[in-house]
Amino acid sequence: MLEVTSLSKSFDGFKAVNGAGLSVKEGEVVAVIGPNGAGKTTLFNLITGVIKPDAGKVLFKGQDITGLHPYQVCRKGISRSFQVVNVFQRRTVFENVQVSILSREKKTWNLFTPASKMAIEETDRILQNVGLIDVRDKTSAALSHGERKVLEIAIALGGNPEFLILDEPTAGMSPEETTRCIGLIKELREKLGLTILFCEHDMEIVFSISDRIMVMVRGSTIIQGTCEDVRCCQEVQDAYLGGSDTCLM
Amino acid sequence: MKKSLLGSKLLWVIAGVIVLFLFPLFLERFYVYLAAIILLTGLCATSLNFVLGYGGVFQFHHAVFYGVGAYGTALMILKSGLNPWLGFIVGPLVAAILGLIIGLICVRLSKLYFGMLQISLGSLVWAIVYRWYSFTGGDDGIHGVPLPDIISSPNGAYYFTLIITGISMLILYRMIKSPFGSALQGIRDNPVRSEMIGVNVRFQQLLALTIAGFFGGVAGSLFVVVDNTVFPDMMFWTLSMELVIMCLLGGWFSYLGPMMGAAVIVLLRTYVSGITVYWALVLGVIMMLVIFFLPNGVLGYVDEIMRKKARNT
Amino acid sequence: MDSILAFVSPGILSQILVGLSRTVILFIVASGLSLILGVLRIPNVAHGSLYMIGAFMAYTVSHLFGGGTAGFWAALVIAPLGVAAVSFVAERSLFQFLYEREHLMLLLLTFAMSLVFGDLVKLIWGAEYRSVPVPAHFQGYINLFGGLPFPIYSFFLLVMGPVIAVLLWLLTNKTKIGKISRAAAVDREMVGAVGINVSWVFAIVFVIGCLLAGLGGVLVAPTVSVTLGMDHTLIIEAFLIVIIGGLGNVWGALLGALIFGLTQSLGILIWPQFGIVFPYMAVVIVLVFRPTGLLKSTW
Repeated sequence: MLEVTSLSKSFDGFKAVNGAGLSVKEGEVVAVIGPNGAGKTTLFNLITGVIKPDAGKVLFKGQDITGLHPYQVCRKGISRSFQVVNVFQRRTVFENVQVSILSREKKTWNLFTPASKMAIEETDRILQNVGLIDVRDKTSAALSHGERKVLEIAIALGGNPEFLILDEPTAGMSPEETTRCIGLIKELREKLGLTILFCEHDMEIVFSISDRIMVMVRGSTIIQGTCEDVRCCQEVQDAYLGGSDTCLM
Repeated sequence: MKKSLLGSKLLWVIAGVIVLFLFPLFLERFYVYLAAIILLTGLCATSLNFVLGYGGVFQFHHAVFYGVGAYGTALMILKSGLNPWLGFIVGPLVAAILGLIIGLICVRLSKLYFGMLQISLGSLVWAIVYRWYSFTGGDDGIHGVPLPDIISSPNGAYYFTLIITGISMLILYRMIKSPFGSALQGIRDNPVRSEMIGVNVRFQQLLALTIAGFFGGVAGSLFVVVDNTVFPDMMFWTLSMELVIMCLLGGWFSYLGPMMGAAVIVLLRTYVSGITVYWALVLGVIMMLVIFFLPNGVLGYVDEIMRKKARNT
Repeated sequence: MDSILAFVSPGILSQILVGLSRTVILFIVASGLSLILGVLRIPNVAHGSLYMIGAFMAYTVSHLFGGGTAGFWAALVIAPLGVAAVSFVAERSLFQFLYEREHLMLLLLTFAMSLVFGDLVKLIWGAEYRSVPVPAHFQGYINLFGGLPFPIYSFFLLVMGPVIAVLLWLLTNKTKIGKISRAAAVDREMVGAVGINVSWVFAIVFVIGCLLAGLGGVLVAPTVSVTLGMDHTLIIEAFLIVIIGGLGNVWGALLGALIFGLTQSLGILIWPQFGIVFPYMAVVIVLVFRPTGLLKSTW
């Protein structure tokens, strides 16, 4: 479904992403792992068009989406959540998700119909699914960190995507919130049949929910394979454990 | 609770409109004039707040659209020889087109750079108007614009201003509450995220700037009706700053905030400058107090208190 | 000299020199503004008021010293220091509490201050036009390029410009305070973390920036009539110069001032009626092609 080949981007001579490759099949959950600064977020930014690559190609469902604007990428069916909380601070939880739905339905040019009567059911359904329905009318700035991370995902879901990119969905969450969030990701896959690409530092989470794993070190792809492949791959161990020969976990 | 709060607000607005309609019956001519000035200045500030408070765009030189709207109307009436009512359409339209053009040049810049380029483009327009004696009358401006009979009397001018301002305010309100307004406020809070949910940020902002220019122009046209003059100082940058102050004073995030801010500033200017020549000093001190103690404006503060009360009961 | 005259008419040459002497004033004021923008991140609208205050102080000081040549030189030293003192009080009492506020609020606050300053000037000096006499040895004209008169005072300004530029460069690059302030412009927390009192560094930079505004005011005073409202157009021009030069870049301020001053004076030559339009158009053209200014900005 998503095919990334030899993608590169450098900032002031520093190669943040250097010939990265990645493939995600329909219905899969794929994790990107790698040490801090390996270029995971940059890779996601390149795929979603926030920054433009110097070289390489991104194919989505056979179409070339390299270098498109983020809004164009979104309209192809790719949604994304951010590592740093990135919600609409002054708007209520409901409005946060609703605007995403309205945007998908291309209604943001509608100047005269009151928005308060639009897309209510769908918004509420998404909030129900992610468990934010109780805080529906709170301003998003008033939410806890964990709730805002979930709202991140809810906004992404408002675009009714086929393909969901999650950038460290559980970062900064309490253990209970983390458990709930993992449950949510599993549900999204099973109930909505979403294809999910995510990155995460917690290896336990990575191995428990992903079908395949891509390992990135210093901007390059080292390996992409099943959990088993990755677990015992020598290079991964070198990168993570400094050459120790015990298997990860 | 929420319903009744909303209901009471609506009641206040209706009561306010009725009082405004009755004004000319019991107020002297000067006060009717003042009320009209407040209304149209408030409309201008509200149209600025449409992009500033709701859109998060640093429109630092909004007075240009106010001035261009006024000049467009006055020149159309004076020079074209066509039906004078046409002037009231042409003025705002020219302002809207100018809003679009300035927007096209500025929209790829962010925040402070946007504001500065906007000021320079606005100053360019001001300089042209200021110097083009043969067409705009230069720094003298234009006096005694002939108006259609119904709106040439003070009361006629007042009612025309009231009705047009009322309609414009309703339209702007409706736009803020529409999906367009929703997306616009999303862009204000988080442009990166907006783009990522499929909003074409630049186009959205451009449309907003055009709309704001149009209603700024409407306010300018109304000034021609009320005051019968136009002059280049209507688009000098200090007036733009005053408009921003009105938004700040009333509160960016309350719809009627800028209108209220306009009322306060216009009244202050009229009365304080009657007492002392140091009216700017008074304005400056008030502004500083607002910035330090009421960063959300007066109406924003009232809103906060109301919300707290609602939560307690 | 003949070879130059073969290409450019003397009229244009003298107009260029007039433009250059105007450039000097613009540069001195804009460089102060740029310094404050670059290090403190404050878009200081009140900068224009300080320029005006500098000009009025020059008037007072030069009259206290009997008006003539001595008065001018005394004003050149005392008036900028007076402006620096005013700005120091403003910084300690107001600005230092606002460094973390967003730009829009800072812009409005400094605009409010400019209103207050304007009225204080009206209160102290009144609304009349004032003039500062040109010192005796700078009076009169010299003949240029075969007969075109050029004011000697403008030559003095042409010398002052490079002097100030070099002094500023030395200040920012060779002194400790300059190095600290450049570091603080990039990362103020880091500078605070190594044990430097950032608040005082900012105060010093602010005062130096304002002193430049005052100096600009003093230097311009003999060439114009000193009056209320002289700050209104100048502050916009200074902002535009800083923007096209690159925020916070002193050399950018010089480049921007050159562009602005020359398009202004040559514009008047080409099309007298719309001369004032040209510099604004130059700014628009620069910003359309280089949205963040010609030289590297510190932002």
